[in-house]
Amino acid sequence: MKKYYHIAVAALFLTSAVSCKKYLAKTPEDAYQVTALDYLKTGTDYQTMAVSVYTPLQWLNQVVPVGDIASDNAVAGGESASDVLDLQQIDDYSLTPVNGTLSNIWQFAYEGVNRANYLTQYKAANPAGQSVNFAGKDALYGEVYFLRAFYYFTLAKMFGDVPLFTDKRLDISATGQIKRSPKAAVYLTIESDLNAAIGVLPTSQTGAAGRATKYAAQALLGKVYLYQGKYDSAATVLQSVIAANAYTLVPDFKSIFLLAGENGPESVFEIQYSSVGAASYGVQPAEQGPGNYQVQQCGVRGLTASSPLMPYASGYSTNLPTQDLNNAYSPGDQRKAATCLDIDAYSAANPSWGIKYLVAPYKNTGLYSQKYQPYIGQDGSSGAFQLNYPNNYRTIRYSDVLLMAAEALNKSTAPNDVLAQTYLNQVRRRAFQVNDASHDVTATGSSLYLAIINERRLEFGMEGERFFDLVRTGQAASVIPGFKVGKNEVFPIPSTEVTGAGLTQNAGY
Amino acid sequence: MKKIFNKIFAPALILLLPLISLAQNRTLSGVVINEKGDPVSNASVLLRGTTRGTTTNEKGEFSLTVPTATGNSSRTLTISSLGYLFKDVPVTEGAIRIVLTSSAASLDDVVVIGYGTQKVANVSGAISTIKTADIEKVSAVRVEDVIQGRASGVTVIQSGSPGVKPTLFVRGIPSFSGSDPLVVVDGVIQTLDDFNSINPADIESVNILKDAASTAIYGISGGNGVIVVTTKSGRKNQKAQFTVSSSYGVQQLAKELGVLNATEYGAMLNEGSTTAGGPVIFPDLKSLGVGTNWQNQVFRAAPIQAHSISASGGSDKMTYFLSAGYNDQVGILGGTKFNKSDFQRGNFTANLSFQLTPQLKFIVNASEVLLNTKGVQEGNWNGVIGEALNFDPTVPVYNNVPFTTGTYGFSKLLVQEVHNPLTSLANTYNRNTGNKQYGKFEFQYDLLKGLKLTTRWGYTNFINNATNFSPLIFYGLNNLDNSMNADGTTVNHDHNSVSSTRDNYFNYNWETFANYNFRIKEDHHFEAVAGFALGRDAQNHLSAGKQDVPFNSWTFASLQAATGANTDSNTLANTGSYSQLYSRSLSYFARVTYDYQEKYLASFSARRDGSSEFADAKKYGNFYAGSLGWLVSKEEFFTSRLINFLKLRGSYGSVGSSNGAVLQSNSIVTGGNYNNVGNSNGYYFNGGFYSGSTLGSEINPQQLGWETDKQVNGGFEIAVLNNKLSLTADYYTKKVSNLLFKGFQALFVGTVPAPEANIGSTKTTGLDATLTYRESIGKDFRLTTSLTFTSSNSKVTATNQDNTAKMPGNTYYNGQNYTVTVFQAGQAPGYFYGYKTDGLFQTTADIAKAPAQAGAQPGDIRFKDVNGDGVIDSKDQTKIGNPFPKFVMGWNLGLEFKGFDFTAFTYLSYGNDIYRAYERNANYTNKFRNILARWTGPGSTNDGRDPRYSFTDLNNNSRVSDRYVEDGSFIKIKNLQLGYTLPASVTKNVISKVRFYVAVKNAATFTHYSGFDPEISGGILASGVDQGTYPQSRVYMAGLDLRF
Repeated sequence: MKKYYHIAVAALFLTSAVSCKKYLAKTPEDAYQVTALDYLKTGTDYQTMAVSVYTPLQWLNQVVPVGDIASDNAVAGGESASDVLDLQQIDDYSLTPVNGTLSNIWQFAYEGVNRANYLTQYKAANPAGQSVNFAGKDALYGEVYFLRAFYYFTLAKMFGDVPLFTDKRLDISATGQIKRSPKAAVYLTIESDLNAAIGVLPTSQTGAAGRATKYAAQALLGKVYLYQGKYDSAATVLQSVIAANAYTLVPDFKSIFLLAGENGPESVFEIQYSSVGAASYGVQPAEQGPGNYQVQQCGVRGLTASSPLMPYASGYSTNLPTQDLNNAYSPGDQRKAATCLDIDAYSAANPSWGIKYLVAPYKNTGLYSQKYQPYIGQDGSSGAFQLNYPNNYRTIRYSDVLLMAAEALNKSTAPNDVLAQTYLNQVRRRAFQVNDASHDVTATGSSLYLAIINERRLEFGMEGERFFDLVRTGQAASVIPGFKVGKNEVFPIPSTEVTGAGLTQNAGY
Repeated sequence: MKKIFNKIFAPALILLLPLISLAQNRTLSGVVINEKGDPVSNASVLLRGTTRGTTTNEKGEFSLTVPTATGNSSRTLTISSLGYLFKDVPVTEGAIRIVLTSSAASLDDVVVIGYGTQKVANVSGAISTIKTADIEKVSAVRVEDVIQGRASGVTVIQSGSPGVKPTLFVRGIPSFSGSDPLVVVDGVIQTLDDFNSINPADIESVNILKDAASTAIYGISGGNGVIVVTTKSGRKNQKAQFTVSSSYGVQQLAKELGVLNATEYGAMLNEGSTTAGGPVIFPDLKSLGVGTNWQNQVFRAAPIQAHSISASGGSDKMTYFLSAGYNDQVGILGGTKFNKSDFQRGNFTANLSFQLTPQLKFIVNASEVLLNTKGVQEGNWNGVIGEALNFDPTVPVYNNVPFTTGTYGFSKLLVQEVHNPLTSLANTYNRNTGNKQYGKFEFQYDLLKGLKLTTRWGYTNFINNATNFSPLIFYGLNNLDNSMNADGTTVNHDHNSVSSTRDNYFNYNWETFANYNFRIKEDHHFEAVAGFALGRDAQNHLSAGKQDVPFNSWTFASLQAATGANTDSNTLANTGSYSQLYSRSLSYFARVTYDYQEKYLASFSARRDGSSEFADAKKYGNFYAGSLGWLVSKEEFFTSRLINFLKLRGSYGSVGSSNGAVLQSNSIVTGGNYNNVGNSNGYYFNGGFYSGSTLGSEINPQQLGWETDKQVNGGFEIAVLNNKLSLTADYYTKKVSNLLFKGFQALFVGTVPAPEANIGSTKTTGLDATLTYRESIGKDFRLTTSLTFTSSNSKVTATNQDNTAKMPGNTYYNGQNYTVTVFQAGQAPGYFYGYKTDGLFQTTADIAKAPAQAGAQPGDIRFKDVNGDGVIDSKDQTKIGNPFPKFVMGWNLGLEFKGFDFTAFTYLSYGNDIYRAYERNANYTNKFRNILARWTGPGSTNDGRDPRYSFTDLNNNSRVSDRYVEDGSFIKIKNLQLGYTLPASVTKNVISKVRFYVAVKNAATFTHYSGFDPEISGGILASGVDQGTYPQSRVYMAGLDLRF
């Protein structure tokens, strides 16, 4: 008995003697978590992290349909009035601060800003305080600056005054601590980021199409200047892109938007998409994947054909071009057919294919966005339902550089309408597939200006430029029904940012 | 050693001599019987003031060695047994005959509390108890089936899906992150999920510890209440006793929902299309007939069976309880024909104890459980139930379209999302094979009289292997979801796939503690316990997936046979992942209970918990609780003849909860995962994939700490009419603070999920009561009835800094993703949030007068302008319902007459609202019969639930509104059982008991709810939202119980 007693007592003491502190100790590494202190130790770490600054670009695919639906170019469409409510609000100008599409754009663009900030925060020294140097570091940071500028530009053009921070990646504690900065200050930061990028970026990214180049940064800077009416600066920077002779206009306009036309000779900057990888309802917003969700949206709902020759896959019938846009093209303009797909006409032209589609979409215009139609095979699509199409966004095309340069030259303090006409007519000659002056614009002054802006509509129809062009040129109120001056130049700040984070709301919302 | 013992402890022992009688012993024998003269077996016989005791055998006999010395306390025997009043009898010469009186309140039962037991009469906390007799009459699959309605203070919302965990909470909903109480099985820490593995037939009792005084000894784990399960064990010197019980039943769908038949469906589609300016879809309605009833096709009668066998007994040195059980519940969704929904369980248990020396006892409990389950997608509009309700009724059951593969018919109109439910059912392939071991190794050592040391190692080890096969499916011509073409070929770029996962958790606790029971001057009785515990929980998860299963067949659905190989363009052909995590805990605990003459009661308990999941500054939490009680009826001045028993009690204390907090840090996420919300990080350059890396939630882990839960409880117990009628009632408040809640994070912080922080709080108040009545008329008729009442009123009092944070619930789809439930400050947890309807617009003039409502036309729903700003917009959303009941009641009725016994159990839930979310409302989906009462012109109806029908719905009539909210209050007759026990004269000498019974479960449901079943289980933020919930079936069953 005594023996057991002593064993029991000894056991008690033994267990008490277990080092309690040690027993409960646990580090992130014990849970196999790589922490900030473990990372950014090599050049490869920096390069890998820089890749992720690009990722949110893909999630911004709704900026393009918003840019057309909010304008006279397109209607929201969809299955019925209760489908795609967020886009219907934008279309009808019944906008409220509760709009999933807009708050996603806001959040995704800021995710890009935060990712870029994390790299700039640790440029000189990594979180562990060490300095990491490697070949190409400066050029890599050029890409990061470019991307941060791109994200802030998206935010500024859509929402006006926005929170501005470049010193660090924010965490939850920033909620309520940061206010909106004036749009002008945001633009200054964008300009400074782009100038920093221009100084270090290479003129081409061989074998890595999609990475930012010096010319992409210059073209974007030119656009940012134009949005602020800084025409002289815009003219200078855009002309330097043209002078580089790095780009040419693709003769066959429609081919730009085919798979084979991706990252082509006219491409200054493209957001890259892929159909590889997952995209689904539920776990994440459908647009938050590697594929271009908007392509699925632009397809014809319930489209089927009995013939294997049929190139198009079905989709959601949203973002439908208006007849107004379709009618804006002059006869002979190859851009009309490349922009607006008239499905009835197409069906009638191919009677033996047995083309059917289910029911007219809401606000049916009979037209679908040709530039971002889902193709069977062509784009890696089987024709089956999929959310992730690989179609890149042609974000900045060379024709954009030309038309922006023309606009800047026309509005410069010392206008050069002759050169402006030259640039404009380069674009028009390609559109009409002529080498003569038969379709040239000869107007000057403000007529030339209007011609350039109108040309932008025709050239970039369904590419998400129209609304922003109308707003910055002051034409929105006269062109868009329901547009209220002093309110609709910008979209509402997402409601949770106002109620939860204490931001001010845009006027009128 | 011996010397030390003699020097130090011998004098100490001598000091204690007055308490220990070292004098000569003699043997006392006797018999314990009840009022009817039947022997009472397993009654406890204890020499008062000592630990010396025994139990009666099956003839009610006992023998006990007692000292002959004339000690002041050793002259009284205390006899107690389940269901009887305890009795003190003086030790007399010769055989003693003791008659026990049956007790309604069972005040002398012993309840199992944390690290000890306590006599019911001495309890000053709030505890609900369920005993083996109740459990035997339920034919339960899971333990929760027994708890529902039988334990006050506990709300259970059951699921119809075989074996699936119900929603269960003790005293309200303290947190959105979890309401599961702690489960302790024979002293071993488990979770509510582990209730899938316990055979209810093995359970001796279930005690539910509700207030802080009872749960504080479990500290951090006690915040949501504690369910203490005690399994059966053998008794010393008991002859082997065998029981066999067997039951078999048939389950069927209790209620079918009213959907349109084919002709009505055609007519509605025509109306919807033409109203929207479209064509007539079915020109010839008459040819449609009634079409197919899809509910008939998917719901099928299904068997349920349970068989168990056990043996128990013991010698004077050891006891044993051995049992084996088998349960099989086939789901009514598909039944045995499809065999896609099934819960099978095999249980094997050995509970053994060995008296190694007079002081040292060794106990080993070991259970092995085999689980085999199959499940069907449910609770979703495109799950099988959702499809059965929403699918096109004009489609024939079987495919009759030439040159197309596929067994079942398909719709020409519905070409995505909602498919033929039979196609979905037939193409559901999964299998879960679980294997669980749990139990304990325990040593008990009687160090001194009244002082016992216990050290116990308890464990649960569970391994689950799951296989899931996604075949290529042809849903129908032109169907957008097809992965197989009409000719049986694979749609380009599509693959079938198989995935296998292996989940393992291994949790153990090593607890060492000392119990010391002593008296000071006879009247002051103390029971003390102190000890410490070490615990470790570990989990790992391994999964792999592979595409291209040969022959598109379940037979070959294995990673071995599948041939998928990754390529540049398909990186999902062959995938795998592994994860593991663990946590450790270290705790110290102590409790003292005190009573003065069993009249004045007090207890105090404390626990200090440490967890590896918290940072150094917050590693430990301290929890304290105390309670006081007064047995008024024991006072001399209390002379009431009416009131036999009266106790008042109150408690206050704090408990905690870690609610699954895991150590978080600013971790880097590497690789190209696009599924990880907010952390997708790869990109494609020139068409090639480049991995990226990003940062996860970056927080200071020093901020995370425990949830604390402060509870006040006041209650009384009263028994009247010669103990026939008794009432126990408790009122409580429960304030939870430091709730782990995701703080509001501005969207400009990015897509990384917000980290958790201790910022929320909730408050719950409620009343629990149990009323019991017991009556015997003559020798043959006995009546037992009890009524339990449980109410809880929970409110979220804070979420984040400025209370703007909301935790939205799961989404459901009705044309677009909607959320209904919200966890938000100032409201009940998980309340329904949406628009209020205010009738229908009858004319355009009505619309012009009303607050501006975009898109409204006559016949559309008029929504309420809640904020009065003249515009109907998102700001007008408000509270439209609460999924949790205001109160629930359970009524148990037991009648015995001669050999017959009858049990009825009725359950009532009042005030629970249900959101009807199983209606897909697409243009071509089927509609529900209420659409026949729709608005068809001015004055036809003004009911906000019945707007006009049109394919285009500019007014968005299907938005989240009270149109879909129904009162889900119900009364369910959950169990009716009629049994007959053969008279002892018939079975004499062969078998000691033979009982047959027949039973009906879910015999009737009285409710206004129009869906299948008003019990909609789910998490805190999913309960009450009926997305096509698996209905509980009605079961007709018969069974046999044998004892020999």
